[in-house]
Amino acid sequence: MSSWLDYTINGLIVGNVYALVAVGLALIFGVSRLINFSQGSIYLVGAYIGWVAVVKLQTPLPVTIVLVATLAGMVGLIVERFGLRPLQNSVRIAPLLATIGISFVLDQIVMLIFSPNPRALPSQLPDVRFQVGGGTIGPLDLLIAAVGVTSALLLFLFLRYSKLGWAVRATAQDRDAAMQMGVDVNRVNQAVFGIAAALGGVSGMLVGMYYNQIDTAMSLQATLKGVVAEVVGGAGSVPGAVAGGLLLGLVESYGVALFGTSYRNLFAFLLLISVLVLRPNGLFVSARQAPPEPLTGTFVAPSRPVRLPPWALLIAFAVFALLPLFPVSSYVLQTLINAWLFGMLALSLTLVAGTVGQVSLGHAALLAIGAYTSALLSLSLSFPVGIAIICGGLMSAALGTLLISPSFRLRGHYVSIATLAIGEIVSLVILNWESVTHGPIGVVGIPPLSLFGYELVGAPSVYWFSFVVMVLLALLQVRLLASHIGRSFRAIRDDDVAARAYGLSLNRYKSLAFIFGGFAAGVSGGIAAHLYSYINHETFNTQQSILALTIVILGGLGNVAGAIVGSVALVGLPEVFRIAAEYRILIYGMVLLLLVRFRPQGLLGTI
Amino acid sequence: MSNIDRRSLVKGSFAAIVAGAMVSRTALADASEPILLGVSGPLTGPNAQYGAQWKQGFDLALDEIHAAGGINGRKLAYNFEDSQSDPRQSVAIAQKFVSDPRIVMELGDFSSPASMAASPIYQRAGLVQFGFTNSHPDFTKGGDFMWSTSVSQADEQPLLALYAVRHLGLKKLAVLHQNTDWGRTSRDYFVNAAKGYGADVVITEGYIADDRDFRSTLVRVRDANPDGLILISYYSDGALIARQARQVGLKQTICAASSVYSPKFLELGGEAVEDVHLGTRYFPQDPRPEVRKFIDGFKAKYGGQEPDAFNAYAYDAMNMAAAVLRIGGTDRRAIRDAFAKVHDVPMVIFGSATFDVESRRIKGAMNAELVIRKGQFTLWDGKPT
Repeated sequence: MSSWLDYTINGLIVGNVYALVAVGLALIFGVSRLINFSQGSIYLVGAYIGWVAVVKLQTPLPVTIVLVATLAGMVGLIVERFGLRPLQNSVRIAPLLATIGISFVLDQIVMLIFSPNPRALPSQLPDVRFQVGGGTIGPLDLLIAAVGVTSALLLFLFLRYSKLGWAVRATAQDRDAAMQMGVDVNRVNQAVFGIAAALGGVSGMLVGMYYNQIDTAMSLQATLKGVVAEVVGGAGSVPGAVAGGLLLGLVESYGVALFGTSYRNLFAFLLLISVLVLRPNGLFVSARQAPPEPLTGTFVAPSRPVRLPPWALLIAFAVFALLPLFPVSSYVLQTLINAWLFGMLALSLTLVAGTVGQVSLGHAALLAIGAYTSALLSLSLSFPVGIAIICGGLMSAALGTLLISPSFRLRGHYVSIATLAIGEIVSLVILNWESVTHGPIGVVGIPPLSLFGYELVGAPSVYWFSFVVMVLLALLQVRLLASHIGRSFRAIRDDDVAARAYGLSLNRYKSLAFIFGGFAAGVSGGIAAHLYSYINHETFNTQQSILALTIVILGGLGNVAGAIVGSVALVGLPEVFRIAAEYRILIYGMVLLLLVRFRPQGLLGTI
Repeated sequence: MSNIDRRSLVKGSFAAIVAGAMVSRTALADASEPILLGVSGPLTGPNAQYGAQWKQGFDLALDEIHAAGGINGRKLAYNFEDSQSDPRQSVAIAQKFVSDPRIVMELGDFSSPASMAASPIYQRAGLVQFGFTNSHPDFTKGGDFMWSTSVSQADEQPLLALYAVRHLGLKKLAVLHQNTDWGRTSRDYFVNAAKGYGADVVITEGYIADDRDFRSTLVRVRDANPDGLILISYYSDGALIARQARQVGLKQTICAASSVYSPKFLELGGEAVEDVHLGTRYFPQDPRPEVRKFIDGFKAKYGGQEPDAFNAYAYDAMNMAAAVLRIGGTDRRAIRDAFAKVHDVPMVIFGSATFDVESRRIKGAMNAELVIRKGQFTLWDGKPT
């Protein structure tokens, strides 16, 4: 029985850590309704500033904390001033994408300065341990808890009783009205980003000390867990974020206790999904509070899409169709094959995110479902590869729609978070369902692509195959969008209340979109599996989901041609920047930021 | 200039592109050019640290190879392409390497998904893919152009089991392993060997490589009541587990796989890794000449820094590549055949290495039983802790 006490304490200890990250996220979400994907990077920056202070300057702890808070806060101000403020009159999606770009840039700068090797960040607190249950806790555990609770309390008081706090809340409720009442909205935003960044920096440093280890990979993990904790607690609520963090820690700890370590994150994300479905406002926010502004409609930039003349499309088609006949290297062809595969994924995402307004952050899961289905069918049941790939597409359509269906009632950001969680769940199920997926060992020896008995192994034949499949899917999607179904999709995106009043069944149309989109993504995954010959649970990861979303936004949400242009650009750019070696992801992040800044509606515009 | 119309401009430039492509294909590297190896590995992304360590090992080996007169008088160089350990990028890099006539052999990639996705391309094009960290049992089954100097876990894990069970006398083991292809394969070999030596494995726990919190896992371990902990970990997660094991009150003997063998393990683990036992392929005071050359050379080149296991793998791989090229020359097929011909190449990990032609791997890694005493890796003195 005493073990349960230990599990509880351990859950609270790690929950503490999650809470600290979640508080910063909650603050920003509360004011700007923005999931700040760069919060994890500020956390990283704070940890490394802490390392410089502790190891190089040997400052005492209070000085270290002040130094980290000040410098991280300044980074936050810079991010706000140059990364986000120029976008304030832009569409909602632009700042979201900008935070992703900023996190690339910050992570890479830290990596270039400090090298990717992990470093020890020694704790400056006396090394005494207190016996609690079977284990011990140290002063750092208490300090982290104290910082979490105190900052939540201070923020709560600040928001409720100070004048700037009122301004913050007024801005959160209605920006324009606040401006009319004389609130300097920019100053409010600045204050919020500064505070959140200072807090984020200090948490990064404390957590680094807690584990005596900092490395450049800590940023994405921190963001993921922070987002989960924040949403569980109630997005935008600071005390809720603390409670959500602790709850998340407890659920993970009990999950480990009951089922074993490899199931730990599964519980975190299942918790998230159940909270989203049952209490989308979060557990600790009163249900009476006005729901956060629906982000559909305003989420997608209204713009006049660039109409590509038919002759231009024909020429582009002819050039790409005939390309392998010219002396181009197989490296160029392979890069374009990747672009076509991502093009299919982007077609799928641009339909559900752009046309129907369900911005998905877990699209790689559809790739994985298609890939595993196709690989396993062709290996264990000797299905011909072509049929196996189609089955992969169908399985992705069916399973993907089934998994997402409980989240159909969600809107805006919540859809993104739910799909993020579903993506992680699929990957964890693949890891743990060993009898079918072979777990971490992966699927080996997947037969190469073939069509009517002919193996497609050379770069040109694979190129043509993936190109033709993508073009067919694109034409099908264009046809779909021009039909009444396409109009209904857009109606749901632009105003779901009106659409429902008009008699459209939202769930039915959302299902249709996910079925079609799931098929395209599954086919893409299936082709990739046969191309790679080996897949495991890491082959289709969160980074691919984020890349897919970036492609879709870059091309223009809902824009079929844009999805393809975007994937050629974003798959091609990192290859073009190869010459820059370690700097290439930094350059990629900056290009992304510039694109968001100057063309938030995407290259070809939203439809 | 002004009377060149658009059509002839297009035609002309097209002809130029074709001509350029032909020239680059036929231009054979002359003897003053270095022989070029392609390296596919992570320089950015979550595994970037390992790519950086590879580079250190490669560069040291290249210095020594050049000091010894290069490859039959020619210099050796490598072209490191960043794959982020992402299969999508490693297949593009593979196409790039196979269509570049200057590249005579490829080294890498780091992770199994990235490496094995590229294997079919290397195999069909007939370019050797020399994976030196690829422990996945099926890596070399990708074809006769896949060769590996990665220590087979079928070799390594029984040695660790011998150390833990026979020499340290542990009878009830808890195994914590990374839930990756490497961790799982290693765990299976370890558990089999340990049972063969008469120990019980009371619990095995697989964890995700970027997990940082292990306290709850360790309570589970504690409740299984083992007398020893086996870590199949890398140095960063291994250090975290050791620290947290002491925090939750576990005082059992810890025994770790060779992949934690890094000065970082000592730095990150601090006092918690004191008395941790580990089986490695070499040790700092190792008198073997190839080890002395490696460690002393490494410290001299990198300002006193101690090398770690990944530095050693890369260093060995470059030396093996040089040995192969000395026999095989610069023809890709002859290089493949040369892998079967090299014998007794001095290597840090294997002592002297000869490939087993059937499995395209090397059998019989060296073994040293170390323990951490006073914050240093030292040869185990036979005393239990």
